[in-house]
Amino acid sequence: MTIILVIIAFPFIWLVISSFKYEKDIISFPPKILADKYTFENYIKVWSTIPLLDYIKNTVIFSGGVVLTSVFFDSLAGYAFARMNFKGKSVFFYFVLLTMMIPFQVFMIPLFIEINKLGLLDTYAGLIIPKMTSAFGIFMMRSFFVTLPKDLEEAARVDGLNEFKIFLKIMLPLSKPTMLSLAIFTLMNSWNDLLYPLILTSSSKMRTLPAGLALFTGQNISFYGPVMAGTVISMLPLLIIYMFAQKYFVQSTAMSGMKE
Amino acid sequence: MKNYRTSLSTYWNKPSRAGYLFLAPSILVLLFFTVIPLIGTFALSFFKINIFFTNTTFTGFDNFLRVFQDERAVRSLIHTLYFTLLETPAQIIVGLLFAVLLSKNTRFNRFCRSTFYIPVICSLTSIAIIFSMLLDPNIGAIPYVLSQLGMPIPQFFRDPTLAMPTVAFMTVWKNFGVTMTILLTSIQGISPSLYESAEMDGATKKEQFFNITLPQIVPSLGFCILTNLIGSMQVFDQVYVATGGGPQFKTETAVQYIYSRGFSAPYELGYASSLSSVLFVLVAVIAITANVYMTRKERQMK
Repeated sequence: MTIILVIIAFPFIWLVISSFKYEKDIISFPPKILADKYTFENYIKVWSTIPLLDYIKNTVIFSGGVVLTSVFFDSLAGYAFARMNFKGKSVFFYFVLLTMMIPFQVFMIPLFIEINKLGLLDTYAGLIIPKMTSAFGIFMMRSFFVTLPKDLEEAARVDGLNEFKIFLKIMLPLSKPTMLSLAIFTLMNSWNDLLYPLILTSSSKMRTLPAGLALFTGQNISFYGPVMAGTVISMLPLLIIYMFAQKYFVQSTAMSGMKE
Repeated sequence: MKNYRTSLSTYWNKPSRAGYLFLAPSILVLLFFTVIPLIGTFALSFFKINIFFTNTTFTGFDNFLRVFQDERAVRSLIHTLYFTLLETPAQIIVGLLFAVLLSKNTRFNRFCRSTFYIPVICSLTSIAIIFSMLLDPNIGAIPYVLSQLGMPIPQFFRDPTLAMPTVAFMTVWKNFGVTMTILLTSIQGISPSLYESAEMDGATKKEQFFNITLPQIVPSLGFCILTNLIGSMQVFDQVYVATGGGPQFKTETAVQYIYSRGFSAPYELGYASSLSSVLFVLVAVIAITANVYMTRKERQMK
């Protein structure tokens, strides 16, 4: 098991060490894991070779916007499916179920045309709006809300709260752990997404980290050092969050495998 | 305005009506940005249309006929299936192996689990960048180690026959943590009394695995296989970054081809859409077949 731990960890350790090496040490053959001298040069250079600050800003706004809106809307819908009775509920439910089965890759071209026609291509709104809800999130929130006792909302109704306030003031606070898991899951997916932002952005000023790095590597494979530094910077935020919120990462994955 | 307000508040107050307001945002977003585009894909398949929307013409089934005559399209579909057949079984086996090995809650096991999960949280883009450098035959550490062991240096991403298996290996390395986590949760949900009585009957560890663990986790296993099959059919990121579809188009997958047809010159959105439609049908057929097969297996196990 220790050998496997090394196999898993080695590429990361190697990446971090190499990102501090001089270009000549990176391309030396035979390769050495450790170099004689280290430098911050790559980390300084990467800011001037690619608009990394823009990439970071775009990724934060895109992921942040998606996480906030999607967790809220998914909770609303999940709550309605779990605890409310209304006409056509099962029809809506199958509708959501259906959308879960459709891969993004299949409808990306019309989506691109739609966003383009709405004049939202290359804007934050264009990136965020289509991702404001997800069938997976709705199902995840629903499976949490079904577990709550019925007395809860009845007591609140007697107290004269309307449906929205019951949801906001009583149900939502109770669902914090599930919401956090969903938030982490959504954050991870939007932070790492490549194809989606690649299609819906065209100027280099609007690119996210994965899209920016992918295009940069494609054009400049010779700049190993800055590419490595950029890769480290792009992975760091999620790794730091992972260190503090491991439980929620694992939970969000475990929940995706839950069957009802 | 006042009227509108009162009517809205009656909606909020009636449980039988408030449901629609709760659902509205999600349903609208899913309708406009998933369902309508999906219909759009099928509709566009019948048109000759480019990204600038000039010279749009209705062409009927021409695009579909073209897909099956276009050698690159057919090969991209074959490559996609090849990747799926390499990646899915490998990921399930590796994921299951570690789920079983790490199922006991010791400190070391917990440490291993959280380390194995680290590749999962990184983007495929960054993983592909790391691997294309590590495996680079001129400067990479792995080819060097292999050459020191007396083996010929493999070209990995640059070798037409080796490129796709390398992409699949990299994908398993990145994603097996997901399968492991799902199966682990499932294994830990098995009642310990089953193992206790098996041990009393003198069942070996191997027998316990095949007669208790495996049948108990069949539903989760089925879920992992299904999501993996569907996910593998959409492979794009790792190919786009690590090989760009090369060498000699040998790693060009369906999504990669759709992307390069639709979003680079000559920007044939109609033709790319018909490729998407074909891919969708293929994914649906595989998903339904796998699902039917697994439901039957599940019933047999019970």
